[in-house]
Amino acid sequence: MKRYLVLDDGFTLEGDSIGSPIIAAGQLVISNNLYGLEQTLTDATYNGQIIALTAPANGASGINPNEYEAINPTCKGVIFNSTAVHSKMERDQSLDEFLKNKDIPGITNIDTRALAAHVQEHGQLKASISDTDDEHAVDQIKALVIQRDLVKQVSTRQPYPNPNSGKKIIVIDMGMKYSILRELSYRDCNSIVVPYNYSAAQIDELNPDGIIISNGPGNPEDVTQTIKVVEELQNNYPLFGIGLGHLIIALANECHISVMKLGHHSTSYPVKEIASGKIEYTNHNHIYTISNHGIRDANFIVTHICPSDGAIEGIRHMYRPTFSVQFDPEAAPGSQDMTYLFDEFLDMISSYERA
Amino acid sequence: MAKEIIDGITMQRALTRITYEIIERNKGIDNLVLVGIKTRGVYIAHRIESRLKQLEGITVPVAELDITPFRDDNNDPNAIKNADLGIDITDKNVILVDDVLYTGRTIRAAMDAIIVSGRPKKISLAVLVDRGHRELPIRADFVGKNIPTSRKEKINVSMSEIDDEDKIEIE
Repeated sequence: MKRYLVLDDGFTLEGDSIGSPIIAAGQLVISNNLYGLEQTLTDATYNGQIIALTAPANGASGINPNEYEAINPTCKGVIFNSTAVHSKMERDQSLDEFLKNKDIPGITNIDTRALAAHVQEHGQLKASISDTDDEHAVDQIKALVIQRDLVKQVSTRQPYPNPNSGKKIIVIDMGMKYSILRELSYRDCNSIVVPYNYSAAQIDELNPDGIIISNGPGNPEDVTQTIKVVEELQNNYPLFGIGLGHLIIALANECHISVMKLGHHSTSYPVKEIASGKIEYTNHNHIYTISNHGIRDANFIVTHICPSDGAIEGIRHMYRPTFSVQFDPEAAPGSQDMTYLFDEFLDMISSYERA
Repeated sequence: MAKEIIDGITMQRALTRITYEIIERNKGIDNLVLVGIKTRGVYIAHRIESRLKQLEGITVPVAELDITPFRDDNNDPNAIKNADLGIDITDKNVILVDDVLYTGRTIRAAMDAIIVSGRPKKISLAVLVDRGHRELPIRADFVGKNIPTSRKEKINVSMSEIDDEDKIEIE
């Protein structure tokens, strides 16, 4: 069955249907991940978005449920350059079955190179997966309003523990990837995941050693409750921000953020650690970034940048035990070069306790 | 037999973290002086200095200190107790830098040498490794790695400036 990708500026492409037959619309993001399909599809940072994957032969090895980053994917739809028929093993799920089960529509055999070139020129666009490419479809996607409660949709409703015997880490779930908990489990952390709107008093009561503000979807300015909680807690606890959490820490300290013309969505972005000049590869998934302007007035040092476009990728407070990164140190998918930041966080907690 | 317990990458990361902590606790680096204790402390001090320069764009002065005349087991009555640091440390925030903190006697000697050279505002201590077994009431402000050891063991710090590579071994 033919289906169409319709952008809000009238650009359309034709492809073949895969997955659910429903119509879907959302913010378009382009990812050139070559691997980690399951992790990409289930990453809650893509909540409400349509992901276009430029790599060929997606799904050639089926879907591996051991690599989910959330039980239910929350992206709106997926665009594939091409998909492959995989040789089925017992209990194995194909990409098509997976998308049908999760009710996510997709289009395959799309000219993703033309799509990427178009987005590169025109910046952030909305897209829909539709049965027609007429004017009506274009008008409909033009009228789409991006939701402002994306974090609320994916954050846990109740707090839950991930018990162990080490440091007690509170993870504020903004749309947390499971790999953050995996990294904490590797390090014996006694972690508790709490909802995005958990109050400072409630977190205080749990007596944490440190707090992680997780990755998540959407505009950080929409999650005012979490920004306020960070303002209240940042003087008392070591903080580690990841992705959306990084932007929330910035906003809690009156830094400015802006939308990038071209977001970073890939497993292969270089990041330079300024102190040592060392370059490591990381998984990125963000369209917002901290502006350079005002960062020093807020007493932050820029610790990491992306050398290809100069975007700020990591900051650290000069006087408080707070650091945060825009990329995903937990990888999944992508390079595990930076998983040591979890060790750094635990070291920071130890030296905060010592001082 | 020597066993590598910390590799080059981990050592670099520890030095980067010490650098951040120095900025954090000194509320900036304007009044800072790094004093490296010969031999490897000097190289560590230079590595911290280059990180501070990358991050803050300020060159922090680095002095080299030979503590031999100040050692408490130096019985030479003719030893000239004069540490030529080459920089003025009066009213400065001095950070003493050494590779391994063990009994604390080296650090006591280093503090003597600094006091002989002037009156700093404050002296702090940064070490790459704290292996325990202090014999004096001294502790480090900035620690790269805490490595619990027995007195029989030996900690060897290698640095690429004079050794083959960066690593820390225990034997």
